[in-house]
Amino acid sequence: SSGLLALLLMVLELSRPSLPSPLKPICDLRVLNHFIKEARDAEAAMKVCREGCLLSESVTVPQTRVDFEVWENKNASEQALEVQSGLWLLQQALNLLRASVTNTQLHSYIDSCINNLLSLSGVLGTLNLQEYSPPTSTTGLEGTWIVSSPTELLQVHLNFLRGKVRLLLLSAQACQQHDVS
Amino acid sequence: MTYDYLRRLLAVHVVLCTIGGAHVVQGARDFEKKVSMLLHEESKNPKCFAESRKDLTCFWEENEKAGSVDQYSFVYKYQNDRSESKCPLKAFHLTSGRKLYVCHLNQTQLFVQMDIEVNRDGHLIHNRSLLIESTFLLDPPANVTVSNGAKPGQVNISWIPPPVKYMDDSMMYEVFYSPMDSHIGKVEVARASSELVLRGLQPATRYKVQVRVNLDGVSYSGYWSAWSDPVFILTPPADLDPLIISLSVIISFIFLVLSLTMLVSHRRYLLKKVWPTIPTPENKFQGLFTIYGGDFQKWLGHTDGDLWQSPNVFYPEEGPSPLEVLSELPVSPLLQCPPLPPKGCRVPQEVKTEMDMGPSLQREDSTQSEDWTTKSHDHWLMERLQALQQHPIPYSQESQDTYVTLSHNNNEDVQDSIPVENVPLEVLFTSRKESESPSDLGSGSGQLSSQSSFEYSNQEWAHKPPGYTYMAVADSGVSMDYSSMNRLEDIGRVPVFTHEYKNDIALRRAFVTRQHHVHNY
Repeated sequence: SSGLLALLLMVLELSRPSLPSPLKPICDLRVLNHFIKEARDAEAAMKVCREGCLLSESVTVPQTRVDFEVWENKNASEQALEVQSGLWLLQQALNLLRASVTNTQLHSYIDSCINNLLSLSGVLGTLNLQEYSPPTSTTGLEGTWIVSSPTELLQVHLNFLRGKVRLLLLSAQACQQHDVS
Repeated sequence: MTYDYLRRLLAVHVVLCTIGGAHVVQGARDFEKKVSMLLHEESKNPKCFAESRKDLTCFWEENEKAGSVDQYSFVYKYQNDRSESKCPLKAFHLTSGRKLYVCHLNQTQLFVQMDIEVNRDGHLIHNRSLLIESTFLLDPPANVTVSNGAKPGQVNISWIPPPVKYMDDSMMYEVFYSPMDSHIGKVEVARASSELVLRGLQPATRYKVQVRVNLDGVSYSGYWSAWSDPVFILTPPADLDPLIISLSVIISFIFLVLSLTMLVSHRRYLLKKVWPTIPTPENKFQGLFTIYGGDFQKWLGHTDGDLWQSPNVFYPEEGPSPLEVLSELPVSPLLQCPPLPPKGCRVPQEVKTEMDMGPSLQREDSTQSEDWTTKSHDHWLMERLQALQQHPIPYSQESQDTYVTLSHNNNEDVQDSIPVENVPLEVLFTSRKESESPSDLGSGSGQLSSQSSFEYSNQEWAHKPPGYTYMAVADSGVSMDYSSMNRLEDIGRVPVFTHEYKNDIALRRAFVTRQHHVHNY
C-alpha cells in the first residue's frame, strides 16, 4: 500500500496543474497613451451628442482625484487596489452605458473604451499585482461616487486613466526592474 | 562666548538672508514673467497655472479703481466635494499701474474638475472650471549645454528637465537655433528626451541656442515655458571632403598629362607661333653679317660680279623681280639717301613681263645684281630729287606719300632701246600727264594713287647700263602684298616688309611693260 501511495503521489505530482509562468510585464506607457486618446475622443463625442445618449440609471464610479501628498504616502498594494477596483467599477458602468445609448455613432466609441479597459486589466495582470476580487455590492464603497449623466461618466473614465492608472504603471515594481521604453 | 555665538549667528543669518533675498528676487522675476505671459495668452479669468504637481497659482487683473483686497473672495470646489474652500488673496501692483490679485494653493487635486468663483463684495465677477493637470507652466530647462558633434554641421545639445516627478516622459521640448547675425532660426522638437542633435548647421558660424518645455497633452498639458537663457556655440570650419580632394587631384593629373602630350606633339607648331623665327637675310647675303658686320657697302664692293654674272642662281625660274617700295621718308631728307637702312633704299627690280610670275620679294637679288650701278644711281637720284624740290609738283608736295606707278606704254622710241628683261620701273608724273595717265592705266598697268612721283629721262636711262633704278621714295601708305605671288622656297627666308605694297598688277594680270614712258619733267 505504501508503494501504491507513492505511485499515486507521483502521478498527482506530475498531473498537478502548473502555475502560469509569470508574464513579461507590459510597462510601455504608449499603450496607455493610446487608450487615453481613445477615451478623450469618446468624451468629446458624447459632449456633442443630443439624442439617444442617456444613462438608464445612475452608476457608481471611482474617485479620480490624485492628491500627490496623499498618493505618495500610500503603499504599492493600496495604490494597486484603488486602480483595480476603479477599473472594475468603470467596466460595469460602461457596459450599462452601452446598453443605454441608442445613438449608433457612439456605440463604436463605447465599444473601444470597453475593450481598452479589458486590455488594461490584462496589462495590470502582468505587473504581478495581488489578485483582485470584486465586491458583491457597490453601494457605499469607499472612494466612489455616483454619476447619472453619460458625459460625466466618460469624464471620470478619462480622468481615471490619465491619473491613477498611469501613476500606477509608472511606479509599478515590476516596471522599475526592467527598462521602461 | 555668548557674544561670539551671537556674532556668528548674525553672520549666518545675514548670509542666508542675502541668498534667500536673491532667491526671492529671482523668484519674483520669474513670477512676473509668467504673469505677463499668461496675461497675454489666457483669455479666461482667473488665470491659473501650476508650477509643480502640488501647487496652483491663480490671479486676475484689476484697474486702478479696484478696491482693497478684502473686498474680493476666491472660492473653489473640487468635483464631488461636499463643501467649497476659500483661498487667501494677495495684491500686487504692476508697473503699468494696474493691480494684480493672486491666490496661491500649496495642495491640489489633479485629475478632477475644479470649480472656481471670484466674488467682489458678494457679487460674482469671475468663474471658471478647470483641470489643474492641464495648466502647467514650468520653468525653462536649466543647464543648457552645447557642444560640437562628431560630424561637421552637427551640434549636440543637452539640458536638465524641470524637476517634476512622474512627468519626465510627458514632456516635450522645443530647441530654437539661429546664426548670430540672423533673426531667422529653426525649431526642432524633442519628446521625452533631454538631449538633441542638430544637423545641417553652417560651418564656421556662431549659433544661438534656446530651449523651452511643455507637456505633451496626453495626461498633462499646459503652456509653453519661457525660452531658456541663450547659449552660444561656434561651429568648426568646413574641412574638405577627402573624396572631393582625391577626385580633384586625379582629374588635374589627367588634365596635366593630356596637356603635356598635346604640347609635345605640337611643339614645333607652338614654337613657331609663340617664338617665330625672325627672318634674317643672312643666307642671301653671304658674309654680310659675319664678315662685314652688316656694312652693306663693303659687302657690295666685294661681291660685285659674281652674282650679276649668274643671275640664274637667284632667278631659277625667270627674271622679273618685284618693285620694292621702301618705308616712309620725308621729301626733304631724301637728299641723303645712302647709306640709308635697307628699308630706306631699295632697288627696283625688273618689271615682270609675265603676270603669272608676279613680282617676288627678292630685293636682295636685285641689290646684288646691280651693285656697281648703285652709286651712280644714287647720285643721279639725288639730282633728280633736288630738281624736284626746286620745281615742286603741282599738288601735294608736302605729302609724305609717294607712290609708284607701273604703267604700260607704247612709246616706240623707248621700246627698242631697252630689253624686255631689263625694263625698269617706270615712273609717271601726274601733273602734266594726268589726262594720259588714266589711259595708261587703262591699258592695263597697275596704278596706285600718286601724289608725287618722279620722272627720269629716257635718255639718261639709256646711257646707263641696264640695271635697276635706284630710287628713294617716301611712303607711308604704299603697301605691297606679295603673299599670293611668293615662290614657295622663299617663304621663310625672305624678310618681312614693314609695308605692304598693294597694287593692281596682280589683280589685273595685264601688266606688261615693254616700254617705259618717260616724260621730261
